[in-house]
Amino acid sequence: MQRIRVGSLVPGMILAQDVLIPRTGVTLLPMNTVLTMEMIRRIGSFNIDEVYIKVPERSNKEKNEEILAPVMAETHEKSVAAVEQVITNFRKDSFTQEAIEGLVGDLLEQVEMDADLLLNLTHMKSYDNYLFSHAVNVSIISILIGEQLGYEKEELNQLGVAALLHDIGMLKIAVETWRKTGTLTPEEYQEVRKHPEYGAELLAGMSAEIQAVAAQHHERYDGSGYPRGLKGSEINYKARIVALADVYEACISDRPYRERLTPQEAIKLIVANQEGFDPNILKVFLLTMAIYPIGTFVRLNTGEIGKVIRVSKNQPFRPVLSLYFDRQGELLGQPIRLDLSADVNHLLYIEDTIPAPEHKKLSEKVATAFSHRPWG
Amino acid sequence: MKAEFINPFVGAAYDIIKRVAAVEATKGELSLANSPVRGDEVNVVIGVTGDLTGQIIFCLSEATALVFASKMLMNLTTDSFNELAKSAICEMGNMILGRAVTTLGERGYFCTLTPPALFIGKNVVVSTQVLKFLVIPLETKYGPITINAALEEKKE
Repeated sequence: MQRIRVGSLVPGMILAQDVLIPRTGVTLLPMNTVLTMEMIRRIGSFNIDEVYIKVPERSNKEKNEEILAPVMAETHEKSVAAVEQVITNFRKDSFTQEAIEGLVGDLLEQVEMDADLLLNLTHMKSYDNYLFSHAVNVSIISILIGEQLGYEKEELNQLGVAALLHDIGMLKIAVETWRKTGTLTPEEYQEVRKHPEYGAELLAGMSAEIQAVAAQHHERYDGSGYPRGLKGSEINYKARIVALADVYEACISDRPYRERLTPQEAIKLIVANQEGFDPNILKVFLLTMAIYPIGTFVRLNTGEIGKVIRVSKNQPFRPVLSLYFDRQGELLGQPIRLDLSADVNHLLYIEDTIPAPEHKKLSEKVATAFSHRPWG
Repeated sequence: MKAEFINPFVGAAYDIIKRVAAVEATKGELSLANSPVRGDEVNVVIGVTGDLTGQIIFCLSEATALVFASKMLMNLTTDSFNELAKSAICEMGNMILGRAVTTLGERGYFCTLTPPALFIGKNVVVSTQVLKFLVIPLETKYGPITINAALEEKKE
């Protein structure tokens, strides 16, 4: 039980004692009530300073998340290490092929287990070796899009493998070039633009589709891409999926030459350049990632700040949040889970998203305060 | 229906339309009509319960709805009224009412909302609980939005 100022109440908190109307003894709200915004306003309209709330018990769902999240984080890290092994020692032998298929099999399993948790991992930390975490994350995002497009297991596997290998041509580019913090020289730039072709060469002997994804993942739907300036249906369909996943993942990662964008800024940037992407794949992508993708810090119309932890299917504007800050901007004693798609929460809406510099500060504050909770 | 109930809705509509699409809305002549509400091509119905009860129904043409949906979707081109556009226009209605109900709360009327329901098709007819409703026509650069408000104070 915890005493809390009325001004610091947030929807989703649970009353530990009856709230009485002052001087009357009439019960305004009984204990165990899950507070909604309407109720908080009602309490606020009386001369009540403080109420008692319960330390929220975690639901089974939340408990599961807490067990699953570190396991998935560990698997993710292992996948990145394994991809590094496989890609740097890439050979056209059955051993390598099996290793890659095994990795994608693991990713598929995790997507099935809990896609949102997995997606949360795509921007949890930056790895030293961006190339390999990028490969894993692009594969995850591509699989998620493929799933929404109705791909069956076999097809998802193919897509996952192709996505995992899409940037393999980068191995032929000098490490100093793709790790460079400054502007590339024209020569370096020309060299980097060859990596799709290098990739296809390295993958000769694998399926035509896998080669096509490597060769065409920088082609753009409107013909503005490289190396060949292909457009529309000239571009392999899976390459169009990977192209989108590739851009999104690059945007939400720290790069040597710039800091990461927030997930929503990444989506905005993609939509601002929508001509470059297949419109149907883009639509499916937006429905999957939502307008406020997982990991985004948002401010509610009532002032509380939280992080998107789950996306509500078919309600891209109404995700599930983990609220961390009350209306005054004070860190809550414990995060409060709030599902904006729930009927009782329709008074609330997302007023705005927190821009990148402040986003980073908030992430760090939350990480310090709730380090024991890997998720939410 | 008291003006003090209606003004928050008009004010919230102005605010949200401006925030979403960066355009000003102007209010036309108000009128009273009898239930049912005859819809336009796109109709968003949101229920209000609490100290005030009833329904608010937003009606607009598909072309207008598509413009606002696109603005809600970061200027994504939506040439048909697909799932994304539908949730965008529902959310916009939700935002207007979320804001209006906040203002009503500041004035001592506490209400909550039901999730928006979307009806598409010009022949949609919505019967309201409250028999008389107020028609608030708003004009915007992207076409008219009509707010039909059928609200009454909860009887003690």
